[in-house]
Amino acid sequence: MDRSASQLWAKRGLYVALAMFVVFLHLLPLDTKPDRLPFPDILIALTYAWVLRRSEYVPILMIAVVMFMADLLLQRPPGLLAALVVLGAAYLHSAAAGMRDAGFIGEWTTVGAVITVVFVLNRLILAILSVQQATLGPVVVQVLLTIAIYPVMVLISQSALGVRRKSVADSGMPRVRS
Amino acid sequence: MAKDRSQRDEYTTPLRRLLLGIVVLCLLGIFLVWRIDSPRVERFRAQVVDTVVPSMEWAMVPVTAAVNLMRDFQSYQRLSEQNRELRSELRLMRAWKEAALQLEQENARLLDLNNVRLDPRLTYVTGVVMADSGSPFRQSVLLNVGERDGIVDGWATMDGIGVVGRISGVGSDTARVILLTDASSAIPATIQPSGQTALIAGDNSSAPAVEFLENRELVRPGDRVVTSGDGGVFPGGLLIGQITVDPGGRLRVRLSADFERLEFLRVLRYQSAPPITESGDIVGPRQPEASLTPQEVNDG
Repeated sequence: MDRSASQLWAKRGLYVALAMFVVFLHLLPLDTKPDRLPFPDILIALTYAWVLRRSEYVPILMIAVVMFMADLLLQRPPGLLAALVVLGAAYLHSAAAGMRDAGFIGEWTTVGAVITVVFVLNRLILAILSVQQATLGPVVVQVLLTIAIYPVMVLISQSALGVRRKSVADSGMPRVRS
Repeated sequence: MAKDRSQRDEYTTPLRRLLLGIVVLCLLGIFLVWRIDSPRVERFRAQVVDTVVPSMEWAMVPVTAAVNLMRDFQSYQRLSEQNRELRSELRLMRAWKEAALQLEQENARLLDLNNVRLDPRLTYVTGVVMADSGSPFRQSVLLNVGERDGIVDGWATMDGIGVVGRISGVGSDTARVILLTDASSAIPATIQPSGQTALIAGDNSSAPAVEFLENRELVRPGDRVVTSGDGGVFPGGLLIGQITVDPGGRLRVRLSADFERLEFLRVLRYQSAPPITESGDIVGPRQPEASLTPQEVNDG
């Protein structure tokens, strides 16, 4: 029991460390010219991959804090995107049980839809409150790239970071094993 | 087993919902506060950036240096080609240098004749770029100088040659520079030699657009664009760039500062227009001193 608890906190720490690393990469002052390609929002893809695999590694509060810090550091309107990402994560958490049998394509489609809805709502709310926004083209590219990078994040999480779905054996008798 | 789980869910699900609701409401609340009272939240953001980013610096500096080194190696491959280009450029520059020296002498003579004293307040603080905005939709960089060095919001920032942007957001050790290319940047400028004034407005492209130009006929591609100093925001006469025309026929500014690699930036100390402390009075001629007393008015 103790070991599984320590592993839980190790994985949570790993999530925070990964988030910091991603923000760090974003902040590197390598290219200050404006016409660079928009890059995928790795943080959102990573969060959703983990929520669908092991939601106990990424509790709601932690996602909220991480996304809010990202909002602050990456010069986005603070709070809005974080709230939407948290809502998306909650939806995915509730849908995770049904998705277990749907296969990866089904999962990818759902996550793609959630990411799209998050960005569309973000844009819509910003437009309603008449906040100045970026042009549509690069944002669309960013959403597509984020959806495209999702399988990569899943692969990395599963093979390198050991974040897999609980198998039946794991969930059946966790106490016997540990 | 299944029963056990459903029982557990019965207790945890409402709690989870409640937590979710509170968290989302908090985040949306912060967003609304930002929308209503943006300066306060932006100050908070500057403080957060001020504590977080300098602690990353130990890792950022070597990584940035390594990547730049690799890029330099790539450019070594084109060494001979670059060498040839530089030689031809150098030949051109020699001619310009001669011209510049003559002009400098002439300028000094004229200044002397007129007894001109240059503005002594235009000194500068040099800062190093620590981080960029981290988003492709915002153009800004973070400098390692801040309130501690006397930096104030609104000061102009240059690299060695041209204007780069203005300070917006000062922490105790860091300051954010909104670049000219950012969509929220607009700077009053004069176009030489015609003397037309315009606004140089960024739009997330590498060449900001020229807006509110009075007479387009007088402006040609290649004209110099300098800050006009209107509004007391920027000191006048700083070089911004040159006019170009984009394929759509719109006038744009090719910036003189090297935006490809911003490394050291100068922040110009500039005491601009005095801050406004009292509420405004009516602009216009004063009301004439009571020519008719109220009694007289009543009589009429």
